[in-house]
Amino acid sequence: MGATRREFMKTVGAAIAASRIPIEGAEPEQSSEAVSGAASSPRTPAGKKKVIYDQDNSGPFGTDILGTLMMLQAESIDLLGITLVTGDAWMKQEMAYTLRLLEMMGRAEIPVYAGAEFPMLNTKEEWQLRQQLYGGHRLDPWMGAFNRSNGGPDEIKPLPSPYDRFAELKAREEHAARFIIKTVRANPGEVTIYAGGPLTNIALAIALAPDIVPLVPEIVIMGTGFHTFTNTFNIFFDPESARKVLRAGWPKCSVVTVDLAEEIHEDDELAPGRRMIDEVAGRAGSPISDLFQKYAVEPVRQNPKTRLFRMADEMIAAQVIDPSLFTKSEPMYVDICTTPGPRYGDAMFWPKNWDRAPVAAKTVSASDRRVFVDPRQYYMGPPPSAGVVNVPQEIDHDRFKKLFVDLMTKPIRKS
Amino acid sequence: MRTSSDLLAHSAMFSPVPQTSAATDGKKKLIYDQDHRGPLSTDTAATLMLLQADNIDLLGICTVSCDMWAKQETAYALRLLEIMGRTEIPVFLGAQEPLLNTKAEAQMRYQMFGARSLGDEGYLGSFAKDAPGRDEINPLPPPYNRFAQIKAQPEPAADFIIRTIRANPNEVTMYCGGPMTNLALAVMLAPDIVPITKEVIFMGGGIHHSTSSVNVYFDAEAAKICFRAGFSKFTVVITDLAEQVHMQDDGKVDEIVQRAQSPIADLFREYEQKPQRANPQRRSFRMPDEMMAANAIDPSIFTGYDEMCVDIVTHNDGHYGDTSFWDADWKNRGGELAGQNNPAIKAGRVQVLNGINKKRFRELFTDLMTRPIRRSK
Repeated sequence: MGATRREFMKTVGAAIAASRIPIEGAEPEQSSEAVSGAASSPRTPAGKKKVIYDQDNSGPFGTDILGTLMMLQAESIDLLGITLVTGDAWMKQEMAYTLRLLEMMGRAEIPVYAGAEFPMLNTKEEWQLRQQLYGGHRLDPWMGAFNRSNGGPDEIKPLPSPYDRFAELKAREEHAARFIIKTVRANPGEVTIYAGGPLTNIALAIALAPDIVPLVPEIVIMGTGFHTFTNTFNIFFDPESARKVLRAGWPKCSVVTVDLAEEIHEDDELAPGRRMIDEVAGRAGSPISDLFQKYAVEPVRQNPKTRLFRMADEMIAAQVIDPSLFTKSEPMYVDICTTPGPRYGDAMFWPKNWDRAPVAAKTVSASDRRVFVDPRQYYMGPPPSAGVVNVPQEIDHDRFKKLFVDLMTKPIRKS
Repeated sequence: MRTSSDLLAHSAMFSPVPQTSAATDGKKKLIYDQDHRGPLSTDTAATLMLLQADNIDLLGICTVSCDMWAKQETAYALRLLEIMGRTEIPVFLGAQEPLLNTKAEAQMRYQMFGARSLGDEGYLGSFAKDAPGRDEINPLPPPYNRFAQIKAQPEPAADFIIRTIRANPNEVTMYCGGPMTNLALAVMLAPDIVPITKEVIFMGGGIHHSTSSVNVYFDAEAAKICFRAGFSKFTVVITDLAEQVHMQDDGKVDEIVQRAQSPIADLFREYEQKPQRANPQRRSFRMPDEMMAANAIDPSIFTGYDEMCVDIVTHNDGHYGDTSFWDADWKNRGGELAGQNNPAIKAGRVQVLNGINKKRFRELFTDLMTRPIRRSK
């Protein structure tokens, strides 16, 4: 039958062991299996977009998995590899889900790489102490792998249906960060990076190889917020990595905020009286239909008050697949607070033209001084090293939902 | 230029502590602590409301630095009482500096960490680059025209607060329209006043619109002390709510100029109507301090409040003065994540007003401004 847990652990363990970041100059590859078949893609058909999909791919269902399904189904995407990072779950558990999902979807040709098992500095123990001292998150207390009810990094729970068992498929042995570096270097100017989880792998990659930054045409990130809340999971799970990646100076770094993601939830209607999840459960192929039936349609049917999650990772998939869905985007400066304390992981934003922003009128009298903040009196800009990012502000709801449902319900795209 | 010795009464002249007179009947006893910016601002408008309301017993006005330096604000407050005919109300010069924050640090923090930019939260009041100096008292424009004859009390505001609350246990509402430096000093000197203060009303912080406001980030330590002190009733107007009403909405300024008496009509004509007509693009300010005054005068104008916990960030970085809010009933929320949405271990408990009947607020405000000037005998 399928791989036993022991065999699975050996495989993933081997991948982890092989992934110890080697000393500069040493040859990391240990086995022929570790050759990244996708480092160069002579088979990439014209017109397809090369993508590395970095994700905290936590199953059985949810925004991570749905982002993954979109990228698997989209014809225009050449998925060079999936790199996993601890975030919503521990990396090994995510690996179990990812390999099995690829197996069920008949996409065994896509290589999967084990990535960072821990964030750069943050720890569960310190987070728990800080949480007592400074408080937890009022609106979104999700701490992913660090959730109290979660186990440790090596605990891999059996997969529920429709996954049912562990995959026979194995991960590659190379560390995710190494794969990213090699692939970008081998395909300069061609590889889009999708980052749906904490940015630990990306930060590692650019720390080892800063030369890859200008070679990446676009990196799309999910995280940060303006008003809904400024402290978002992907960022506050690993603020140091987020700060490094957001400051790096990419040719284009698109950031979908929680504010935008909150506009569309999984259980929203495609059209009046027709929910997206019913469309997909009814018309999609297996295993997509099974996933939607069990984890979307059923829970809502049993408890109609259930509100399914916002479509965050699905939106950044849309940015990769069809950016025209975003009808308005702004360049902005962004920075991340890395002071351990109540604002650890908070995002701050500034308009790109903060120093030329119109002061609506000159002050008419001294008493008006307060109505407009006078830039001669107050420095209103970003800190010295803040990076500029592209921030989508508006999305075409109808077109996005249609894209999503089309991708879910079209025939399962085979290798 | 005025010197500070001109402002304060000599020690022999101070007035006794306003004692309880239950004879004042039904009126709400209130200490008005305010960064009293002149000639007309959200601060002054709130002062006018509380002077005009006939159900408020204004025990005293305390000043604190923020929008302006305390001495300049005191000059405005004294003269305003004179032209409104309310010289029986004592004025107390309050904290001239915040507990810890300084102009140099506030400026440097912005350079180092970036200033807040998405709201209008970068404002630093008297910590602006070219702001007047701490002891500068500049002449007052019309309709003030000159400095008052009456003087402020020699006693510091914090002491007045302590003595008044002790002399009127469970009766005094503490209105804090600026940074809470004076109240924080009072609490540190005399923690016994906390359980016998009837209510604190404060404007500060925000949940979604902005994560702080100048009343907090000008003196974050004072805010933290007062929120954590354990007052039994602590009503907060947050920026989110204050933003719902701006001074120029609904034509009320024109109505006030037309129907109010002097000096109220003059103030609104000169400092709201004229600038707006000169520049129609001008965005008039929100009405936070007026909302606080409305809450003191007629709390039924507000449609509800949320019991929340609040704490203040006092790290010396770009988040200095940030407010953090949690739901007081957080244990009942969060489902399977219950316990991960907890307030900070020492967070304080407040009631955050969450809705206002705008029509009634506008009517109250206009009515108070346009009724005959309530003068002392």
